[in-house]
Amino acid sequence: MIRRLLHIEQIKLLNYNPFRITLGIYFLAFALGLLIYPAIDKEIPVISLSDLFRFPDVWLFLTWITEPYNILLALVIIMITTKEFNNHTFKTQLIFGLSRNELLLQKLMLVVVLALFATLLLGATSLTLGLIYSYKITFKIALDNTYTLLRYFLSSFAYMSFGLLIALLIKNTAMSLLTFLAFRTFVDPVLFLILRKSEVKWYLPMRTTTQLTPVPNVIEIFQKKLNSPESIDESTLEIIPEGLPDWLNILMVLLYMGLAILASYRLMQRRRFV
Amino acid sequence: MNEILSIQGLSKSYKSVQAIRKLNLQISEGQAYGILGPNGSGKTTTLSIVTGILRQDEGSFSWFGETPEASQRKSIGSLIETPHFYPYLNLEKNLRIICDIKGMDYRDIHRVLQKAKLYERRRSRFSTLSLGMKQRLGIAAALLGDPRVLVLDEPTNGLDPEGIAEVREVVLEQVKQGKTLILASHILSEVEKICNHVAILKKGELLADGPVKELLAEDEIIELSCNKNEVLKAKLENSGLVKEIETENGLLVLTLNEKVTPSEINAFAFEQNLVIHHLLSRKRSLESQFLELVKEE
Repeated sequence: MIRRLLHIEQIKLLNYNPFRITLGIYFLAFALGLLIYPAIDKEIPVISLSDLFRFPDVWLFLTWITEPYNILLALVIIMITTKEFNNHTFKTQLIFGLSRNELLLQKLMLVVVLALFATLLLGATSLTLGLIYSYKITFKIALDNTYTLLRYFLSSFAYMSFGLLIALLIKNTAMSLLTFLAFRTFVDPVLFLILRKSEVKWYLPMRTTTQLTPVPNVIEIFQKKLNSPESIDESTLEIIPEGLPDWLNILMVLLYMGLAILASYRLMQRRRFV
Repeated sequence: MNEILSIQGLSKSYKSVQAIRKLNLQISEGQAYGILGPNGSGKTTTLSIVTGILRQDEGSFSWFGETPEASQRKSIGSLIETPHFYPYLNLEKNLRIICDIKGMDYRDIHRVLQKAKLYERRRSRFSTLSLGMKQRLGIAAALLGDPRVLVLDEPTNGLDPEGIAEVREVVLEQVKQGKTLILASHILSEVEKICNHVAILKKGELLADGPVKELLAEDEIIELSCNKNEVLKAKLENSGLVKEIETENGLLVLTLNEKVTPSEINAFAFEQNLVIHHLLSRKRSLESQFLELVKEE
């Protein structure tokens, strides 16, 4: 049954132009990254961006840089879910034998598949750049920091489950997209500023999610390089320590995701699909 | 006979409107069951509940004698109101989704598209179809996998006369094959032509149900006038020939008892030395009977 549900989503998505376009942009963003970074590199003397593409730094750096790409994936989930309301196709699927739980499961599986896809793409890109720009490659150095891929997967999953909840709540495509973007770019950051004196600011849902892929200390590594050009090979990126302890942050994200999925489940049970 | 659908005390209201009220229906295997009623009588609400789109407020229903479950709907072919498909997918791909839901392979798709006269359009997007074609695709989808039960809500909606005849033929064929049909319609002649059982709904309540022949039997009605209408009326009332006598615009309107012919009435009047100078037989149409049944109290 799970394969069937996924196959249904596959038919719907691969023929859906907005999905193809968004996914195209997503690919392009990754590909442009590969092309543009080296080009910029030539225009900045002494500092070389390619230093950041070395193992094991490349994992941390690319994970942080590509984190906003997950917004696109969340937009895809919002579009495909709200379209089911607009086209009344949730109703059709119910009539022909899916249960309400299966309707939700279908979307959740799509979320998992897209998150896996994004993680694999990130992994492949990082690996390619690392192999190109690293001076010395050993297994230990190359595979250090690869755990960030797991964080990226979680981040991607969290974004999309939040998108799914908004889509099920609002039903209208444009309104859902706007709400999601407003949360990501406006509501959460503003709350963060208002709460800047309080520790609560680190518990905001979007903030915990962005903290999954934390900011690496890029400045520091360039300073080191300016001071002593030779030692750079040995130094590696550090994460700027801020926010919640790592385990607590991950726990908070898992909690928010759980709540979003639970709320989606409730909504799916109650929605009228006429 | 095996029970297919049993509805007990089903109620549903939308805010201030009571859509159906304590509805009971029993539908057995092989029946062609018509649910007849004017607009807003609760037909679609009833069918939406039994096909899982809506939740009832009260009461229960069971399919095949079991508590309702989503998987039961895989052996039911339904068309509720207007059919909804993915507008950007072609007909074949839309039907593939249904096949995947029902857990069957795609081989049946061509057969049902041919039945619905849409085979040539199988690679067109759903959004390019005309209203009537969309309706026919809805019927094609309902026929996918040759289900033992068909639930059709106003299946001829939006079709041209030719389309109506074709759909009727397809549905009748299913009935002849022994499939169970549940057909909601506000068109009396449709129910009369296709169904053998009928339930009549009005404002969400069951007015009557039973075999079509009994429920929608035709009465013979004649209107007449003679030199002494009042005398004739009094005599006829005790004659046992008529069910009902009314006076309308100076004419007597008689509803005859079964197997009584107008000439018997004429002979009866003649025996009483009354001269009939106007006699007209008018069969009361089913339409007016139906309207009378659902008319306001």
